[in-house]
Amino acid sequence: MSNTETDTEANDSLITTDVETGSNERSMTTDATAVAARDLNVFYGDEQAIDGVSMEIPENRVTALIGPSGCGKSTFLRCVNRMNDMIEVCRVEGDVEFGGKNVYDSDVDPVALRRKIGMVFQKPNPFPKSIRDNVAYGLKIQGYDGDVDERVEESLKGAALWDEVKDQLGSSGLELSGGQQQRLCIARAIAPDPEVILMDEPTSALDPVAASKIEDLIDDLAEEYTVIIVTHNMQQAARISDRTAVFLTGGRLVEYDDTTKIFEDPEEQRVEDYITGKFG
Amino acid sequence: MATDNTNAGGFGEVSRVRGIAFEYLSLGASVIGLVALGVLLVYVTIDAFDLANASPEWLLTYFLTLVVPFLAFCLYSASDPEVTRRALSALGGGLVAVAALFTAIETFVAPIPRLSWQLAYLFVVAMPVTAYLTYIGSRGRAGGVGFGLVGRLVGGAAIGLAVGTLFLVFDSLVWFLAYTLGVVPAAALYAYGRRRSVNWAMTAAVPVGLVGLVAAVFLRGVIVTYPSDLIIYVWTLAIPVAIAGGLVVADRGSRLAGAATGGVPLAVAVAGGFLAGGFGVPGPTALIVLVTVGVPTAVYLHRVIDEGDGLVGLALPVLLVGGALVGALVVEAWGVPAPDPWLDASFVTEAPSRTAEDAGLYPAIVGSVIIIALVAVLSFVLGVGTSVFLEEYTPESGILGSLTRLIQVNIANLAAIPSVVYGLLGLGLFANLLGFGLGTAVTASLTLSLLILPITIISAQEAIRSVPDDLRRGSDAMGATRWQTTKNVVLPEAFPGILTGTILALGRAIGETAPLIMIGAATTVFSAPASLFSRFSAMPMQIYAWANFPQAEFRYGVVAAGVITLLIILIGMNGTAILLRNRAERGS
Amino acid sequence: MTDSTESPDLQRRSGLRRLKEGTYGGLFAACAAVTLLTTVAIFVTLLSDAVVFFQEIPIAQFLTGTNWSPNPAGGGQAFGIIPLLIGTLVVTVTAAFIALPVGTLTAIYLSEYATPNARSILKPLLEILAGIPTVVYGYFALVYVTPALKATLFPEMSTFNALSASIMVGIMTIPMVSSISEDAMSAVPDDLRQAGYGLGATKFEVSTGIVVPASISGIASSYILAVSRAIGETMIVVVAMGAQARMPAVREAAFGIPIVNPADVLLESGMTITVAMVQIAGGDLTGGSIPYDSMFALGLTLFVVTLVMNVISDIIAQRYREEY
Repeated sequence: MSNTETDTEANDSLITTDVETGSNERSMTTDATAVAARDLNVFYGDEQAIDGVSMEIPENRVTALIGPSGCGKSTFLRCVNRMNDMIEVCRVEGDVEFGGKNVYDSDVDPVALRRKIGMVFQKPNPFPKSIRDNVAYGLKIQGYDGDVDERVEESLKGAALWDEVKDQLGSSGLELSGGQQQRLCIARAIAPDPEVILMDEPTSALDPVAASKIEDLIDDLAEEYTVIIVTHNMQQAARISDRTAVFLTGGRLVEYDDTTKIFEDPEEQRVEDYITGKFG
Repeated sequence: MATDNTNAGGFGEVSRVRGIAFEYLSLGASVIGLVALGVLLVYVTIDAFDLANASPEWLLTYFLTLVVPFLAFCLYSASDPEVTRRALSALGGGLVAVAALFTAIETFVAPIPRLSWQLAYLFVVAMPVTAYLTYIGSRGRAGGVGFGLVGRLVGGAAIGLAVGTLFLVFDSLVWFLAYTLGVVPAAALYAYGRRRSVNWAMTAAVPVGLVGLVAAVFLRGVIVTYPSDLIIYVWTLAIPVAIAGGLVVADRGSRLAGAATGGVPLAVAVAGGFLAGGFGVPGPTALIVLVTVGVPTAVYLHRVIDEGDGLVGLALPVLLVGGALVGALVVEAWGVPAPDPWLDASFVTEAPSRTAEDAGLYPAIVGSVIIIALVAVLSFVLGVGTSVFLEEYTPESGILGSLTRLIQVNIANLAAIPSVVYGLLGLGLFANLLGFGLGTAVTASLTLSLLILPITIISAQEAIRSVPDDLRRGSDAMGATRWQTTKNVVLPEAFPGILTGTILALGRAIGETAPLIMIGAATTVFSAPASLFSRFSAMPMQIYAWANFPQAEFRYGVVAAGVITLLIILIGMNGTAILLRNRAERGS
Repeated sequence: MTDSTESPDLQRRSGLRRLKEGTYGGLFAACAAVTLLTTVAIFVTLLSDAVVFFQEIPIAQFLTGTNWSPNPAGGGQAFGIIPLLIGTLVVTVTAAFIALPVGTLTAIYLSEYATPNARSILKPLLEILAGIPTVVYGYFALVYVTPALKATLFPEMSTFNALSASIMVGIMTIPMVSSISEDAMSAVPDDLRQAGYGLGATKFEVSTGIVVPASISGIASSYILAVSRAIGETMIVVVAMGAQARMPAVREAAFGIPIVNPADVLLESGMTITVAMVQIAGGDLTGGSIPYDSMFALGLTLFVVTLVMNVISDIIAQRYREEY
């Protein structure tokens, strides 16, 4: 049974229902935890970006992080694979557990960590290489010794891109359309078979048609992977996620619950205001 | 505000006279330096080719056989009626205007020294118009392909000359061993690793290559029998060039076409190399020429045939060669008095001499090539290493951050130190203290490498900085280590920019004279340097030496030829750099 | 909380990969260290021989002496830097008279008046001016400029003279002034220009009254860099200016003030610090002699002067970068 911890009192309404807002039928009851944060605080210099966040993110589910811009949801995402290490002024306190291991322990190699956690960015960022080399990139740097081409095909199929590009694997990834580029980036992320996929507003730079393809894809990905997605689009969160965490200003996690609960009957007035558009 | 109202009552007009005068003054200032340089270049060209003594008939002959067909080709490839109309009116109007102006000045003021109106027309009107048309034409399809071939041929021949020079200068047997034992196994391993995605093979290529190179140096004294020079050239030059050409084509088209593109010129070149002896031409020379001209031509022909486009471009080299031949024939047949250019084939192939007629630049050219080759390697490696360290490996804050800033400030200061001071460094450190010797090629290379290092680093940093951060983050998120991100993402993206900057910096190095004087480089040597530790001269040193000669033939003839040679090489290098940059910009 | 997967292996690798990473980092750091070492090496090389020189020739004598003859035919060496400083000053000032106004006007034209098309053609062409080898400029000055000036303006000019050399140094340094000044002018925010136009100013008034004052620190830093470049310029003066260390002739005083006729300096040959170094280098380079050591003393002087100027220009340039 997964706990729901927020910084407020909401801990009493964990209802497992399949309603229209939730996009899927996956059961909520027997989840193992993939990623957990314990009293996480993040500072950029003197500014606090995340304030005492604790939450557990279930395995093989889509968990959405929503909230107004600057609320710390992207920062939280980047704590999971320690991409915040790249920012010099960034300081992290508390634990982020991945598979039961605190990723901020001194003996953890962030490089090894990132090889187990895929990431997809807001703007599609395929490398200026061929489509094949893009997908094979993770395999190459990890010294994968199996059949690379087979793995590339599987990953492209997994990202629903294979049929569109199978005849032009040698051409540059930059020649694809924006939506295709983003799916290429997803294929690149899943090629080394990570356990978790982090997505930082993956559809915000795309047109609606391309965005809806990505949404369908995310739904499929949850069969095999744990997906954590940051989005500023509440409809999107409602459509694709199983669990939703609402961050509000100051980097506080205000409410974290099943998506249906958040969107139909939030505990917090602030969350309701935010979801109905009165705030943020 | 100081507005000059001429009509104080209404809105009136504000005086613009001052503003317009200022605009034209500043425009004039922008071009005055360029105009001055242009005039000087015209004069030095006239001197180098002895055009001042060219008869009008001679000029007319070559104008008709060479310049007019070339212009016609350019007009055709520009294929824009408006451009054609403007070009023709500029040519015609320029002809009349230049002739009238010159006649007027010579009649009423004073004769203009060593310049006739025909020459002025050639330089001031015909050349700019041609350059403009060439530029317009090279953007179009037909012309672009045609100029492509000329570029390939010239580039191929230049590489051939450079490689050939190195063969002659260095011990070709050492190269043979190094190539056989080091380069070939390393390349084979690398190719295998790349094809099969076997990492260890690609990693192993480097040590294998190094071991081979070291072994070559040791074995050189041990092994006594070697194949003939010609066979060495075939094995170490013709075959790899042919394979490279074949691979380029095979990558674009079929394997068969690739094999033919590589194989046919190779066969022709090898046959030519063996048969050349019968015509009194050294075999290796014939081989180098045939390979470096034949392979690019074959690659180009394949592209033309494959795309069925740009066939007309093939007319350009035919036009140029044919025009030159016809011109020479006419001059010969009708006994037109021809000038005796200082800059001719013998000038670049012969050694310096006391008499102006026999003076040549060959040893200095070879000296410059050797020095620049070494400088290129050293400054590229050091420049890329430093800029990668500064851009990718160091944080912006903390102790390391201050160290980075210190290095950065230091680089800016190094760039401002006069080159003659670097000469003293070379003299004191490399020549005397470390014992590399006064005036040796290795001392010169080390000194010049340090001299251009700041420029190389600064441009490499800019290139690396222009790689979008998205790509780095994408690679980092895949779990790439810093080195993997640098090697796989940053450097490939930044490479064209780094190369451009390095070539531009090398252009600076090739013209430097003061540091060479300070390290005791010889002003005049009569043979090409035999090794890195022998004394050498370089092109600018030779020009400096000749400029001190009191005779007019040297001052106005030989030095001018040397200056033009140096400038042509510089323009070639800078042109390559700019082409690379444009290509990279278009690619991304 | 349940863990369905076993704890993933996130340990730091102590093996090959870390070694490889460390090796590459170390190699790059070593490359960067070369740049620092170069500065140290220049300083130590110059200083060690200069110290030997100053043991023979006292610094005061070096700095105040008015006679420079390191290799006289009949003995009696003298190492006074004053004539060299005068030669250097003459070339630098004359070159500055050409490069600074022309370069500034060029920068104004490029930044304020030129169409994007004209700018994209002019800027690379101007860079060519700085890319021509200096020995070629020297040759131009000697073989074309001097005879032309002699035939037209100054019939009494000598074959080797300071004027043609200075003109060429000036032309060569135009792009230094123009490119750095133009950067500074382009950095002036458009708001300021709009404010000027809003008050009814003409383009001329905006350019000279608003843009130039606003970018003055950038312009000043470009001036200093150009002057420092002119001080260190070697080959142009070596080829075109000759090699006679002379004190300028002082004409009789007007109103009690001694006057030097500029023609005496400009139309005659002279010697700069750099020429003196090259002249010695043309002779003996094996070391151990006083003239050999004097080269390093001169080099140290040059090094210190250009370094100080570069630092000053950097400090000034820092200001305009901070302003906007």
